[in-house]
Amino acid sequence: MNAQSMQSMVAGFDNEAFGSQAVFRVALQALSHPGQIITMPMDAQLPQHGHGAAALLLLGLLDADTTVWMSESLANSDAAAWLRFHTGCPCVSDPHEAQFLWLAHGQALNWPALASLRQGSDAYPDQSATCVIEVQSLQTSAPAWVLQGPGIATQQTLQVQGLAADFQAQWADNHGRFPQGVDVFLATPTQVVGLPRTTRILNSQEA
Amino acid sequence: MLQSFDKPATAPANPRAEWMALLARAPLPLLEQGLADHTQSTPQWLRRPETGLMMVQGRVGGAGEKFNLGEMTVTRCALRLAPAAPAPATPDPALNDTPVGVAYVMGRNHRHAQLAAVADALLQSPAEWPVLEQRLLAPLRAHVQAGQTRRHAQAQTTKVDFLTVAREASGGDEEETS
Repeated sequence: MNAQSMQSMVAGFDNEAFGSQAVFRVALQALSHPGQIITMPMDAQLPQHGHGAAALLLLGLLDADTTVWMSESLANSDAAAWLRFHTGCPCVSDPHEAQFLWLAHGQALNWPALASLRQGSDAYPDQSATCVIEVQSLQTSAPAWVLQGPGIATQQTLQVQGLAADFQAQWADNHGRFPQGVDVFLATPTQVVGLPRTTRILNSQEA
Repeated sequence: MLQSFDKPATAPANPRAEWMALLARAPLPLLEQGLADHTQSTPQWLRRPETGLMMVQGRVGGAGEKFNLGEMTVTRCALRLAPAAPAPATPDPALNDTPVGVAYVMGRNHRHAQLAAVADALLQSPAEWPVLEQRLLAPLRAHVQAGQTRRHAQAQTTKVDFLTVAREASGGDEEETS
């Protein structure tokens, strides 16, 4: 970290213990109720780049033992310096090695394919990657997708704008690899949705 | 980074590195005295003082293989000075150009870490530097120097000069043979 990035540094959680516990609660809630939109409590100062909810989620989850990969526009921004300063997480240059990935909004063409990330093994499925993907908007009212799977009583509708065009195909593939596969968080500036690998995504016509 | 504690660094490359090293060794009364009215300011914390352990590594003679000497307690913090006048709050804290100060000090004294970081931030501003150089850094240098001189003097009293008495060139040999 150089003096320049230090000069533009902002603080992290207002209260470290309560802030990170609240983020953890959000992450648990999101993964146990896939497709449910959860509002992130914004008790922190945020970097200028990156979506706030994604930044906070990673601020709460990362530490010095977790490697992270960020897509290019984030890796060269104040968001990367901020995350490194507050969590001490090592940044890796190869997305296939990372335990956490932070994919910037609007650069879907440069996102690595889900199948190329760490998938875990049958004995240790927990060693797979977790992907935080920034999206433009999340809605449950417009039924573009129908989600089914553990944590969803009957079905959950969800519409996401700003994902890669082939995301649904990639997700079907990811779901099929269970118990291996990656878990995904979708994040707008203030909200989070969890997509664990157990969730099936159907088009509204199919359901 | 490997640094000799007792000898002055060969090249005083970076003035900031030099003053941070001085501040880390400063006794608290000298800091309080040197910073005068700045000690009362409430900083914006980037990282509140936190205490942890750091592994200290050494090299025998400064050239051998690295080895772990032991762990030491370190307190670190980072802060941004409060703006001089409480002018209209900058909406974006990142645009705030008041300097950021960082401190890593030995021990568990949070106050020491805070004051060292405040001093680091102030020293970066060209306006404050000459004042603090005279009021804070000069006494600190004298203090560190005095400590080194005292320790050097103590060590000198234990120094042993091993003398080898050279034997007489020829006379000795002759005595043995006779």
